[in-house]
Amino acid sequence: MSVLESLPALLVRQLESQAASSSPEDPWIFAAHTDLNLQGEYADGYVILGRDVLVCARANGKKIGVQYYKGTRTLQEKKHQEDQIYTIQTIPLARIESLEVIRQIGCSTLLCRYADPPQQTEKLGKAEEDFLTGEFRIAYTTNLEAGDLRHLASLFSKWKKGETLCADDAKSKSEEEYCPKCGLMYPNPNRKICPRCMDRKSVFVRTLSYFFAYKWKIAGIFFCIMATALLNLVWPYLNGTILYDKVLSQDEAFLEFLHLPAGRGAVALALVVLTMILTKVTMQAVGIVQGILTAKVVPRVVRDLKNDVFESMGRLSIRFYSSKQTGGLMTRVMDDAEEVSGFFIDGLPYMLSNLVVLIATAVILLRMNWKLAIPVLLYIPFVFWISSHMIPKLWNLNSNRHRARRSLNGKVNDNLTGARVVKAFGQEKREVKQFDRYNMRMMKTEIDLVRFDRLFDILYTAAENISTLIVWGLGGFLLFYEGEISLGLLITFISYVSQLSGPLDLLSFSFRWWADSMNCAQRIFEIIDSISDLTEAEHPIHLEQMKGEVELRHVTFSYDPNKAVLKDVSLKIESGKMLGIVGRSGAGKTTLVNLISRLYDPQQGEIMLDGINVKDIAFSDLRRNVAMVSQETYIFMGSVLDNIAYANPNATREEIVEAAVLASAHDFICKMPDGYDTIVGSRGRDLSGGEKQRISIARAILANPKILILDEATASVDTETEKAIQASINYLIQGRTTISIAHRLSTLRDADELVVMEEGRITERGTSRELMEQKGTYYKLRELQTRALALRGVE
Amino acid sequence: MQEPFQLEQMEKETKEMLKLRYLTKENCTFQRTPGGFVSLTVGDEHYDRIQVFCTFPFTDRYRCVSIRESTEKAKEIGIIQDLNQDLDAETVAMIQEQISLRYFTPVITKIKSVKEEYGFAYFDVETDHGPCRFAIHMSGSAVVHLSETRVLFLDLDENRFEIPDLTALSTKEQKKISVFL
Repeated sequence: MSVLESLPALLVRQLESQAASSSPEDPWIFAAHTDLNLQGEYADGYVILGRDVLVCARANGKKIGVQYYKGTRTLQEKKHQEDQIYTIQTIPLARIESLEVIRQIGCSTLLCRYADPPQQTEKLGKAEEDFLTGEFRIAYTTNLEAGDLRHLASLFSKWKKGETLCADDAKSKSEEEYCPKCGLMYPNPNRKICPRCMDRKSVFVRTLSYFFAYKWKIAGIFFCIMATALLNLVWPYLNGTILYDKVLSQDEAFLEFLHLPAGRGAVALALVVLTMILTKVTMQAVGIVQGILTAKVVPRVVRDLKNDVFESMGRLSIRFYSSKQTGGLMTRVMDDAEEVSGFFIDGLPYMLSNLVVLIATAVILLRMNWKLAIPVLLYIPFVFWISSHMIPKLWNLNSNRHRARRSLNGKVNDNLTGARVVKAFGQEKREVKQFDRYNMRMMKTEIDLVRFDRLFDILYTAAENISTLIVWGLGGFLLFYEGEISLGLLITFISYVSQLSGPLDLLSFSFRWWADSMNCAQRIFEIIDSISDLTEAEHPIHLEQMKGEVELRHVTFSYDPNKAVLKDVSLKIESGKMLGIVGRSGAGKTTLVNLISRLYDPQQGEIMLDGINVKDIAFSDLRRNVAMVSQETYIFMGSVLDNIAYANPNATREEIVEAAVLASAHDFICKMPDGYDTIVGSRGRDLSGGEKQRISIARAILANPKILILDEATASVDTETEKAIQASINYLIQGRTTISIAHRLSTLRDADELVVMEEGRITERGTSRELMEQKGTYYKLRELQTRALALRGVE
Repeated sequence: MQEPFQLEQMEKETKEMLKLRYLTKENCTFQRTPGGFVSLTVGDEHYDRIQVFCTFPFTDRYRCVSIRESTEKAKEIGIIQDLNQDLDAETVAMIQEQISLRYFTPVITKIKSVKEEYGFAYFDVETDHGPCRFAIHMSGSAVVHLSETRVLFLDLDENRFEIPDLTALSTKEQKKISVFL
């Protein structure tokens, strides 16, 4: 779509007459829509980047129609109002020094910084605007359109640098993706799924495939459900028509049918009662078998689904985990697996059997007596209507209660965790008061739910009872006055009528259940199907013996497209040497080492290990040869032994102990009651920061990597522990290429080279002595730290 | 070339960081710039463009308003203790305008409909800025309870919408959003 096609027709005409660009062929590069005017009112506007001009078009009036935010506009509804006249401001690109988007809380501002104006002597014949200088706000927008505005600013800076702009640049970055079927905007453009038109059928078939492995058991469950339904259908006939009309009224034809001589009604009664008992027992037995089969299938399918999800989670890159959207997605997926299989086992078969029961009952009722059946069947839609209207409300109340309980639990948890602070500041009373508020809310939701639940029950039962009463009334009439039916038939009929309520109840919310469970299944498959943005090369290079040479060539990297964290970084570390990285927090140090261990891939530039691009190296070799000890150590749930041997599970016990000794961890591990078998991690024994750190160093020693990354490895420990850890590190770095990030510069004394990073760039490099002579940032930091230490000494 | 390192200068800066400077009409002048921003002169310091941050944007918007540099670091220049008291009317209006732009939050005056669908809630509302439709995530922190009767909704792009007083809504409207309360 060309830039002009996205603009209102009137504006296009205005542009053509007022803002002629000197490049008549394809003069416009990108247009960003804005939705606020400079007074902060909703109003349409456009900022259009041309080949040689920037155009700001501001609608002359406020917006009259609805302001659509993300997820609410359909294809039929336009972003802008068509009949607006715009005020157009044209700025020659040459006059602009930079464009910057200032992100605020509820809106963003586009700031234009003018370059120095032309000489006054050139003023003749030029507009006043050509001589503006300083910073000007040229557009406002809500967060909805901020992405496009940022894209425009980045295109401008590309142009300013002399880079060529390609056709791809014209694409809107926050391009709202619409569902091609219904036109609804996807609530999450990264997840191109329209909740309304999701292809539930294919998701359904795919989910079914998980059950296929257990097809015989499933068939068994299905058989049981159908058998129960059938027996349920037989029951009213047995205890109505057979019992009253055939046995108790000593029906001769029936006795003959049972091959019993006339007058042996008692035997016939015994036989029928026995059959009734048998029917009930069979129903119970079938129920038990079904329960056993279900218990065998459901946990297995849930396990299969979770395994698949977990496996794909491992395959995904770190970027996937850091994204907020997917973070939420992950936690829900595990619950989803249970929801999905629950529906397939509990919901689906029952729905089918209920449908069968419903149809069969209706047919039976009509066949028994159509006069009685018609009022009942006319009544069905009414009962159905009650439950389909009231059940969603019941669910809402249920989720209200759930939310209230969650916040109450949260409050309790908060208090337990912060008990020390509460006590220390003597705030027990206030906490009790606050707790009471949450408790009260919980109580209210509980009362609401119970009240509505009762109401629903009463209404539903009343509806049912009325239908039974009608049948009794009409049936009685037919029995006594018309003599059309028998007592047994009436009792049978009523039993069938009462059997209708169960299926109706279930079917009334079955569609919602189905839709919800398919949505859950969709989320699961999304994770299973997601492709990692970090993939191993098709034919990866295997490096059995790595030398450990690291080189970065013009590496540029950003997490967020609008803010580069590393800018054109180049450096080389020879095998076995140590590089120290110094810099303020947020300078890009950790990002740099994350790129070396390929947790992310750079957008520009290359990272070479032993002269080979990391992207081409097999993951297994890369992970084996690059190890990281960082400030945030992670101890997995398991024994100390497992944790040390994490990267090298085949290590012998002696090797593990040796590694622990070298990491100064052996001593404290031995002192723990269970030694190396002590269970640590989230559910195990608590370890101090220093202890965790030493275990992770032992892990790195045992991994025996060729390239070792130390990211603030000693930052969170006391001075004494730091000394011990430092000694271990000194051992650890021997014969390895080491990259060490440290705030305490004394730990980098032995580095062969030091680099100082500032705002994503390397600003200083050299040995410690060279950098001291340069008197730059390193000198400054060093000096500060020395003085601080000296001061402590004085104290 | 980097500036030579001066410890005294740095220590002075650190000490300054610990000081709170109050801005009043006696010690500073705010002015509108031709570019639509606000500049500030305080003593012999001049800032071409400043940013206005509310320290208590919800509970007391115009108290302790922090005036900061326009750089990325946004270093604090000073604090206006009570915006309505400490500056002249014209400056107050200018600062308030900056605040209302920075914290752009339409106030919901009427709730036409709220539809819950597949993990999202779709709002159709009237606001003091005009009719709006927005969507929020049902899970997570899209609904912020500022007080018993005051609620803030954050949409998918973190745009904000506020209901300053729930009791001002009709019972019918309150019912529509009862799920979030």
